[in-house]
Amino acid sequence: MVPIPPGIYNLDDLKDFGRRKGWCPYFLARYAILHANIVVYSYHYLLDPKIADLVSKELTKKSVVVFDEAHNIDNVCIDSMSVNITRRTLDRCQTNVETLQNTISRIKETDAAKLREEYRRLVEGLKEANVARETDMYLSNPVLPDEILQEAVPGSIRTAEHFVGFIKRFLEYLKARLRIHHVVQESAPQFLKDIYEKVCIDRKPLRFCAERLRSLLRTLEIADIADFSAITLISHFATLVSTYSKGFTIIIEPFEDRTPTIANPVLHFSCMDPSIAIKPVFGRFQSVIITSGTLSPLDIYPRILDFHPVTTASFTMTLARTCLCPLIVGRGNDQVAMTSKFETREDFAVIRNYGNLLLEMSAIVPDGIVAFFTSYIYMENIVASWYEQGILENIQRNKLIFIETQDAAETSMALEKYQEACENGRGAILLSVARGKVSEGIDFVHHFGRAVIMFGVPYVYTQSRILKARLEYLRDQFQIRENDFLTFDAMRHAAQCVGRAIRGKTDYGLMIFADKRYARADKRGKLPRWIQEHLTDGSLNLTIDETVQLAKHFLRQMAQPFRQEDQLGLSLLTLEQLQSEDMLQKIAQIAQQA
Amino acid sequence: MDEEPERAKRWEGGYERTWEVLKEDESGSLKATVEDILFQAKRKRVFEGHGQVRLGMMRHLFVIIDSSRSMEDQDLKPNRLTSTLKLMEFFVEEYFDQNPISQIGIITTKNKRAEKLTDLAGNPKKHLAALKKAVDSTCVGEPSLYNSLNVAMQTLKHMPAHTSKEILVIFSSLTTCDPANIYELIKTLNALKIRVSVIGLSAEVRVCTILTRETGGSYNVILDESHFKELLMLHVKPPPASSSSECSLIRMGFPQHVIASMSDQDAKPSFSMLHLDSTGEPGLTLGGYYCPQCRAKYTELPVECKVCGLTLVSAPHLARSFHHLFPLEAFQETPLEEYEGERYLLAWHVKKCSAWSVISSYMTHCTAVLAVCRLTGHPDVRWPDYKTSVYFSTRN
Repeated sequence: MVPIPPGIYNLDDLKDFGRRKGWCPYFLARYAILHANIVVYSYHYLLDPKIADLVSKELTKKSVVVFDEAHNIDNVCIDSMSVNITRRTLDRCQTNVETLQNTISRIKETDAAKLREEYRRLVEGLKEANVARETDMYLSNPVLPDEILQEAVPGSIRTAEHFVGFIKRFLEYLKARLRIHHVVQESAPQFLKDIYEKVCIDRKPLRFCAERLRSLLRTLEIADIADFSAITLISHFATLVSTYSKGFTIIIEPFEDRTPTIANPVLHFSCMDPSIAIKPVFGRFQSVIITSGTLSPLDIYPRILDFHPVTTASFTMTLARTCLCPLIVGRGNDQVAMTSKFETREDFAVIRNYGNLLLEMSAIVPDGIVAFFTSYIYMENIVASWYEQGILENIQRNKLIFIETQDAAETSMALEKYQEACENGRGAILLSVARGKVSEGIDFVHHFGRAVIMFGVPYVYTQSRILKARLEYLRDQFQIRENDFLTFDAMRHAAQCVGRAIRGKTDYGLMIFADKRYARADKRGKLPRWIQEHLTDGSLNLTIDETVQLAKHFLRQMAQPFRQEDQLGLSLLTLEQLQSEDMLQKIAQIAQQA
Repeated sequence: MDEEPERAKRWEGGYERTWEVLKEDESGSLKATVEDILFQAKRKRVFEGHGQVRLGMMRHLFVIIDSSRSMEDQDLKPNRLTSTLKLMEFFVEEYFDQNPISQIGIITTKNKRAEKLTDLAGNPKKHLAALKKAVDSTCVGEPSLYNSLNVAMQTLKHMPAHTSKEILVIFSSLTTCDPANIYELIKTLNALKIRVSVIGLSAEVRVCTILTRETGGSYNVILDESHFKELLMLHVKPPPASSSSECSLIRMGFPQHVIASMSDQDAKPSFSMLHLDSTGEPGLTLGGYYCPQCRAKYTELPVECKVCGLTLVSAPHLARSFHHLFPLEAFQETPLEEYEGERYLLAWHVKKCSAWSVISSYMTHCTAVLAVCRLTGHPDVRWPDYKTSVYFSTRN
């Protein structure tokens, strides 16, 4: 029993502790997970089968699992089961295979017993896992399906050299598949059939690939696993493609759509069904709670993730004063509709109106403004147009402008300078993208985000084949219309973006949706309730002038002094108020309603 | 609301949603909540401050007026600059009325620079003249908070420690162009015990919040013109002195007014010391106030003697400062039905002696003058404007 004193530890604390006691912090962390009362970690440790196997294998059944900020959980599930293979991956894999071969021949000369021992251990290791699952002690590994354990490891990959040869053949097949000039889309069983026809590789040995490779690397006592990431990826792919026949699709593209002249073949093995990855979690744990501030509409999640919720509840914020002001701006001052619809993106008037909106906002909103665009390309086009029209110059007289790029270092530098400008009274605008790092991670509390402007509706790139395959699957399996799903996805990202501005009860901010399509009921209805209830009918299709008036009025009201005494009884309760009869009755009522 | 024929075009002024002024508030609307909060704050302000607090009565106040591009905005009529300067004239008069032994200086900032409009002085005429002239100046560029605070600080740091050093910034822009880190300046201001308050005309700016919080001042943002006036008037009252300011005995001179007539042999016309460096008409006067220490002549009080540095005041000036220390007690609010004593009906009293007797307890604290009605002999209070709610004083 390792005596870790009670307390709250993050990884740095564990590192210090380990250093002081002379223990390896990595294994200390793994140990601590099993013995802790509360563990806080990222979704992947539980959802990604490759990682969950290592880390969360031994969590007890009675645990309560809470997925916080889970509005993107279906994307996380899908990403954890998807694999992308490029030509570079295959080249690196080739190098790995050669290294493996050399290592094996070297070991054979020095210590052949080791390899024999490995084979025996392999068979026995699988038996142990089987016993453990029947007695319900480990988290099941979806990459390793139940049926395998009843069979022995097929002879074709029993010895190390045979296995390496097997991998080589598979690699050659993949290389051949990538040498195409048109797009190919097929299902997993079709792919397997093709493999069998071309290189005579059976389904069964493919299934053992990942496990076999892992055990081989362990036997050869290879210390630097990271070097072998390419071959690990290929083995994962092999196992996945041979295990699941439904819910996956393979798309091979000779080049990326946006750069048709550059040959860049990619094999996308994408999961279309998020319920596969999360099923073991639902099956295993007694209580699973999915929660988020922007989980809307609520009923679509049980359908996508294929579960029946025992309870669904939706809560709003109790506020002593209305600290958010959502506005939908649909028109410019010249009454031209503002929208990021694909057909009107190049329209001069639309771009100019967007520029005017930002200019007017920069003149009346203090400190920081965050503006979100629907994609990097769109943002670059608009900013270039604004520069030509001279709008950027006018904006810079009011505030400094910072922009998020696809490079992480540049973005963090921009973010740092943005925060400095907001602190110093100079004021700044941050231009970023709705699905970028900034919108998912960074909070803009208080003066860092006094207004958030959402330029357009952030639909994903609808021409992508992976998306199309997914939409088709959803339509066939879950009867979810494509349009509904696309709107749902766009609105949750929009809500996520504007939710960055309000992070507390004394915080306040403007939320501006700059697209006429937001006023439509099907989009408006998908916003979270706490935004919808402050969206009055009079703020649905505003022009820029009206928006400026409303915003000025709101900002002045919010700048009035707001002390703790004003909040008592409404959004802040003292202990006596909490224990009073009224409050207890109210709480019971809310619990019943939901 | 629509009777100004000379006003600028509608689209320049922005929309006024007049129908929203009449908003019903039984649904607990936002407007009612905010006004309620403001009302409560006002009441609290009046009722607090009755403790034995030491006040900084000798005040050196610098007013920094933002003259940047944003002052041309027309949400205050006719534009922010004109409205501000008019209110400033009123403020300067009130200020010297309530704080006769204090001084004011005015600084303007525009185009990333700051310059002194008037220097620290105790004579309201100069300030009023400068303010009237400043209406014609152009508003251009961006303000510089750092530079203007610096200019004020350069003068204030030479002031003695027993005085109350204050800066009031009227800030309309949402951005400031500073040559150096303003947080260092805030630390310096703190060390010199200078108190900075800000009145914002647009919205809440973070740097102002920090500035006022660190130096112990107040930060308010105006809602409209009448609110602006109210917030300005808050600064007329002397603020509580910080506990670390020294108190010392101050030497003051009380010169007698000498009125000499032409028939007096020794009387010779002479210049006042103030006229030596002023550009107004040099007036030769026979009488005046002579400094008890150096016999220099001055025509007006209060003033600081240029020759020997002695502060010259007259007794009523001190008395006026004094009443801040002993303000009127708070009136008790009694509903009409419960009051047993004598009452004065408005109409009846008006007929009898044409004196107002409608009282608001807030107004009394600000500008009330206790006067005796000539006809009936009853004491009552007079003030420039009045509220219609009726409270009865328990005094008479």
